[in-house]
Amino acid sequence: MRKNKKPIKILTMIRKTLMYLMLGVGAVITIFPFYYMLVLSTKSREEIFSFPPPLWFGTKFFDNLHILLEKMPIFKALWNSVFVAGSQTILVLFFCSMGGYAFAKYKFKGKEALFSAMLATMMIPQLLSIIPWFIMMRHFGWINTFKPLIIPMIANPFGIFLMRQFMEGIPDSIIDAARIDGAGEFRIFWKIVLPISLPALGTLGIFTFLGSWNQFLQAMLILQEKEMYTLPVALSKLAGKAASNWGASMVGTVIGTLPVVIIFIFASKQFIAGMTAGATKE
Amino acid sequence: MDLRLSRESAPYVFISPFYIMFAIFGAFPIIFSFYLSFNMWDGITEMKWVGVENYIFVVTDPWFWKAIGNSLIIFLMTTIPQHLIALTLAYMLYLGTIKFKEFFRSAFFLPYITSAVAIALVFQLLYGQHFGMINAMLKWLQAVPGIGGLFELMHLDLPIRWLGDPKWVKPAIALMVTWKFTGWNLILYYAALQNIPTTLYEAAKVDGASPIQIFFKITIPLLRSVIFFAVTMSIIGNLQIFAEPYMLTGGTGGPANSGLTAAMYLYNTGFKWAEFGTGSAMAYVLCSFIVVFSMLNKYFFRDKG
Amino acid sequence: MKKSKRVSLSILVLMVMIGAMAFGKTTIDVACFPDQDSGFKSMLEGFNEKYPDIEVKIKVNGFAEHHDALLTQIAAGANVPDVATIEIGYIGNFVAKGGFVNLMDAPYNAGQYKKNIVPYKWAQGTTKDGRMVAMPLDIAPGTLYTREDRLNEMGYTIEDMVTVDKWLEAGLKFSQDLDGDGKNDRWLVPNAQDLATMMIKSGEERYFDKEGKCLVGNERFIEGFKLAKKVKDLGLDGGIGAWTNEWYEAFKNGTILMQPSGAWLGGHLKNWMAPDTAGKWKALNLPNGLYINWGGAFMGIPERSDKKEAAWKFIEYAATNIRPQLEQFEASNIFPAWMPSFEDPMFEEESAFFGGQKVRKQWAEAAKNVPVIQTDKFDKMAETIVNSALTDVLENDRDPEEALEEAKRLIERRTRRRR
Repeated sequence: MRKNKKPIKILTMIRKTLMYLMLGVGAVITIFPFYYMLVLSTKSREEIFSFPPPLWFGTKFFDNLHILLEKMPIFKALWNSVFVAGSQTILVLFFCSMGGYAFAKYKFKGKEALFSAMLATMMIPQLLSIIPWFIMMRHFGWINTFKPLIIPMIANPFGIFLMRQFMEGIPDSIIDAARIDGAGEFRIFWKIVLPISLPALGTLGIFTFLGSWNQFLQAMLILQEKEMYTLPVALSKLAGKAASNWGASMVGTVIGTLPVVIIFIFASKQFIAGMTAGATKE
Repeated sequence: MDLRLSRESAPYVFISPFYIMFAIFGAFPIIFSFYLSFNMWDGITEMKWVGVENYIFVVTDPWFWKAIGNSLIIFLMTTIPQHLIALTLAYMLYLGTIKFKEFFRSAFFLPYITSAVAIALVFQLLYGQHFGMINAMLKWLQAVPGIGGLFELMHLDLPIRWLGDPKWVKPAIALMVTWKFTGWNLILYYAALQNIPTTLYEAAKVDGASPIQIFFKITIPLLRSVIFFAVTMSIIGNLQIFAEPYMLTGGTGGPANSGLTAAMYLYNTGFKWAEFGTGSAMAYVLCSFIVVFSMLNKYFFRDKG
Repeated sequence: MKKSKRVSLSILVLMVMIGAMAFGKTTIDVACFPDQDSGFKSMLEGFNEKYPDIEVKIKVNGFAEHHDALLTQIAAGANVPDVATIEIGYIGNFVAKGGFVNLMDAPYNAGQYKKNIVPYKWAQGTTKDGRMVAMPLDIAPGTLYTREDRLNEMGYTIEDMVTVDKWLEAGLKFSQDLDGDGKNDRWLVPNAQDLATMMIKSGEERYFDKEGKCLVGNERFIEGFKLAKKVKDLGLDGGIGAWTNEWYEAFKNGTILMQPSGAWLGGHLKNWMAPDTAGKWKALNLPNGLYINWGGAFMGIPERSDKKEAAWKFIEYAATNIRPQLEQFEASNIFPAWMPSFEDPMFEEESAFFGGQKVRKQWAEAAKNVPVIQTDKFDKMAETIVNSALTDVLENDRDPEEALEEAKRLIERRTRRRR
């Protein structure tokens, strides 16, 4: 039975409008807090606490920044975060690509078992080890240093997994050719495999950087002095009582969020692609 | 100059960093935690062996159960909407007839990459009782005739004290967590949808199936493993949330502990009250919950033939 | 070449001189919370006159963060400050755990100052076996801030307000629904919890007695809880959290009639919370003849500090001399614990903010009446549990006595294992 074409068209239109509507509302809800953050960072405390709440930009950004800087060395915190995230990223890229390469391109005894065991460790809840982890850091004398935030995570299963996925696609012939030419194993890794793996390294790098940037619980436990705080820790101290100036706090969140958003906007395609590649191979 | 690794030993050397690090920072702490859970220690004075006393204490502690309850309720309040919304929106994007796909995907993913701490600060303001944006919108909605009546029916008392009223604290936390993580699941589902061969859809359409039928009879079953994976991650993640409730309740756990999650209570016990032994026991009890839930999840998604 | 030789020689001399100067100076880290930093800064000039070779670095952290960080630092034995301030709510913890120098020993000999320090404060910094862990810095006599203009509007004078019942009466009149939305827009207090706190903090004991027995659930607590509940049920409570913006607004707009607190709140009110309302406030004694301690801090020297002598000089200066005590008082309303400072004419001054009242004198008088209080290392934990019970009563309509019973049980469970 042939359906009349007109109702179908209307139906399709309604469906489309509905979809656009839902997606649109979703996007607005998603983006609004960021917009609001920006707006409030430009408002004075009195303006923030007015009814109805402000929706357009004000003029007080630099005033708020000034107040913020009096209470918290936010730019130092920014730098700390960059340093910690950057260091961790570089180390992770090195060690995880090494591990991924091994699992991807070598045949060795126990490979399957070792790989599965490694993946299994991803399932271990973090809370289980947090208390002894802290005690250990105390014992090492690493309290109030950046070491606990960088070193423990340098070889993590997720990274190795991601790199393996990618490297499996590297043609064996290239590697074999290099061996014939007399190159050592590490040299092959360093000079041939790594450069080819740049896209995957990019994805892993962004992932790691973001993850490290947002790390909170460990940073809060370890870092004791304002000068050492990373951004999330610094921000968490801005939410307290007594003379809390929300405009200033918002400036802090803007400073903490903007770098991440910018990186993301530039790298979003690759980022999402990398993520999906990893996920769908499950 | 290169390290002359043999072809046989190279892989072992390459993967050793992971195992070494895991041994030091992964395995050892867990074992030590297990040992600690049978002791009483505040980090300064001597350790005292107490056997299973810590476990008994934790299991009979009303606040522990309250925290577990809170975590569970928040888990349900956020995980279910997260996946429903993510799947629905991913499907819409996938259907392909939408422009600005890139924009939507990026926008939805944005919350995931930002720091929970920063987000919580903004949400604290959004949740303000008299000056918050959400209450402002609700108040505005109340003026709309039909909706106002609806509010009356639900005994909704405006303005809502999101962070001050025990019964609203959990929804407030759940809402923020949903906002943050839905995008992650969306991307996941979107990618998985891409992997479904279109031929299946063609065949179904030829057979006269409606879009809804296609969705339920073809798409969902094929997405099964991805949904399972995503929900498992949610279980492990959402039962351990710390930063969000910590920030929204100002570290206090909320009025009458309404926002005290299991992770927060563990943090308080272990680090604020310096009861390392009790905290370790609590961690193990909590983890058994996670394991149980994961197993339930696996059972739920088991192959039915 | 002679010229370059001369230049390099003078540079060398200069460097040696600078080196000697730097070498001669000791730097101490003083860790504190707001608003102590303003107080310390105001007395630095005098301090450096007396001790020019000691450089003071003031590190200030939020109230809770400061104490939490201090605990971790003492436990970890790392990054300890040379001088640490500790508020009374936390002192029990530190007194018991150790990690601080005994100030009664030589070369500190704090005992010589005992007779000039407000008695109840002295006892608090001392352990049961006579070690003095922290030196009293300031006291915080409890007081009631009230908007006199509002009282007068309703026909009351401040002399009338001496009992809790009188306040309830005035509160009922004051609390009104002004914009017709079914809710009061003016209240007696911003938060009923403060009234419960007021009752709980009275008397000589807080949460535990000398033997460590938990006192939660006795008369004081029941009365306090019941009062808070009554206030809430009568609609006299604004349900506003302290240190939120709504709280500041309440003071600015005069939508609350009174707020019990410590003398230190006056400084906050005057300086930044509601400076434009100057002249409308009065600070009264607490009703029902209650004299309580609402705050106040101490200073101690962590064992791990390597600059103990210099640290003691700072503490001694700040706590046992009239000038710095008054300077801190002026700057941040930190009420002196050093009794000789009470003789200063400053105490006779009339405060413009408080409508010409001689507030300082009032508080000094009140301070003399505050009893010695028994602190315990589990005070903070007990406080958390009791506050949670109170919220349960106020928000979830729980029966006060039942809630207190449970709180007591919870506290005992936790503390019994660690005594």
